[in-house]
Amino acid sequence: MTVVLEKSNIPKLTEALSRQYLVVDYEKDKTALSVKGYFLAPREKLFSFFSKTKKLSVRSSPKRKLLLFGLDLADIEALGQLDEIMTKPREDYFYLRKRRNSLIVGVVEHSITMPVATGDLILEKINPSQYRAVSLTKAGQEIVKNKFFKKEKNPEILIYPEEKSNLRELAQDSELLAEAVSWARVKNHPIWEKLEKICLGCGICAYVCPICHCFSMEDEIEIDGSASHRCRYWDACVLNNFSRVAGGKNFRPALKNRYFNWFYHKFVRAYKEYDNSQCVGCGRCQKYCPAEIDIEKVLSEIIRDYEKSLSAPTG
Amino acid sequence: MTNDKKLKLGLFDFTDCEGCQVELVGLKEKLLALSERVDIVNWRLGQAKAQWEQFDIALIEGTPLTPGEIDLLKIIREKSRLLVGLGTCATLGGIPAILDKEERQQWYNKIYGPEYEGRGVDALPLSAYVKIDFLIHGCPISGNEAARIFSDLINGKKLNYKDYSVCFECKLANLPCRLLEKKPCLGPIAQGACGAICLKGGSACYGCFGIKEGANVGALLTILNKFASEEEIENYFSMFHNKSKLYDHR
Ligand code: SF4
Ligand code: SF4
Repeated sequence: MTVVLEKSNIPKLTEALSRQYLVVDYEKDKTALSVKGYFLAPREKLFSFFSKTKKLSVRSSPKRKLLLFGLDLADIEALGQLDEIMTKPREDYFYLRKRRNSLIVGVVEHSITMPVATGDLILEKINPSQYRAVSLTKAGQEIVKNKFFKKEKNPEILIYPEEKSNLRELAQDSELLAEAVSWARVKNHPIWEKLEKICLGCGICAYVCPICHCFSMEDEIEIDGSASHRCRYWDACVLNNFSRVAGGKNFRPALKNRYFNWFYHKFVRAYKEYDNSQCVGCGRCQKYCPAEIDIEKVLSEIIRDYEKSLSAPTG
Repeated sequence: MTNDKKLKLGLFDFTDCEGCQVELVGLKEKLLALSERVDIVNWRLGQAKAQWEQFDIALIEGTPLTPGEIDLLKIIREKSRLLVGLGTCATLGGIPAILDKEERQQWYNKIYGPEYEGRGVDALPLSAYVKIDFLIHGCPISGNEAARIFSDLINGKKLNYKDYSVCFECKLANLPCRLLEKKPCLGPIAQGACGAICLKGGSACYGCFGIKEGANVGALLTILNKFASEEEIENYFSMFHNKSKLYDHR
């Protein structure tokens, strides 16, 4: 038996779900931002200290669970990576409590060829008018109990190949990426200097990336002195003060080094620590960079030269 | 806290539109909270009390345009522990600095006749005359950002700018990138924390919060040169930065 959902019933389903959950219908083409901000907010007060009571307090979580609807596979994969990063080696309480108070429903417009590891429910397109529902968790099973889902013996199942994306393919070869990016650093590849000249250092690439997760902390004090708040906000490798430490020393004063750090963290450190490159090839940084720096071209150039160096005679 | 332990604050204005002080008044409860914690000893626009003793903090809005105003600025500097520029006229020269002395004379001739002799000098950032301890940029300032800075100031925190450009708040507001649409914008090199208010209103960013420390101005010029004329680029940079030394693109 296959659980199916009629495409035409999707709006009714999300409406029905919004009685129970805070439903966000995520439409990738309507925003530059990924869903990471729902769990790792661009700016948030983590906890507050009150002068009068001398007590710390953490904001309470909203009663209703958040339900993110409509993520594609790349975004689900990215969220899975982010979950891992925020769990290991130490749990990020503030991320996880939001994440644990949420449900993820993926809507995949092509046939799925690999098992999906993150999310609660995946809707996979099987023919022009229907999706197959695959629940991955108890919460997902609950959703599928909704009257809009039907059990069918033999629904028409067509094959919809995933649209080919060079960047997505590139991102999957994490071992090669790790080797090539390290090599490009050691060999002082001219690409870093080229990038330093054209990159605006605006940070958009990291803001829009579904996996970039570096943040900074800051204390905000109420002007009347009644309370202070520990706040965190998104940081980005390329920003001028990203590598400024207490005492004022900035150990990556050149944009070239900060830009490289973005790549190093994503492709080298991530590979060492999590066995992955922290890029799923979603294409956001490519699409929204005001300087039109194309990560696919940058990576391809590095890999091409790295491979050339391997075949070249040593000495 | 007893009254005499409170920081003494003076707020002065030179040539400008006084819009930044209006923003301060717009802080309402926060301004009242501030006035509880500091002793505002001189503020022409806000109160009758106008003492000329020492100031712990002097906030200066606008920029001096006459020799008398320049002298007064120097006197205030001598009397103040911290001198803080308030608003882009003070911090960068801003709008008054768009016009050069010669150009201004032409307008004098037109408006007041050839007999009139202007006393005005070129509008320059306050830092052209005295040492400045901190700049609260903005045309006008953002009330919230100013309140944050005041709070840090009276609570003894080191004053800092946010380490992001205007792009951060522009992206959070889900606005399309003007540069990608081939329209000029200084957002990526401009100091953020304004709330991307101009972009939200459909305008470009002219960088009234100043050019961000370490900004790659050259990279932006390369982009602008692809679709904007030199004159147009000049217009964008001269809106607030005509006399600031923060950029050099010529
Ligand atoms: S393509 Fe760019 S934005 Fe997308 S995951 Fe990779 S690095 Fe992040
Ligand atoms: S979005 Fe583009 S210009 Fe901005 S920091 Fe990233 S690579 Fe540089």
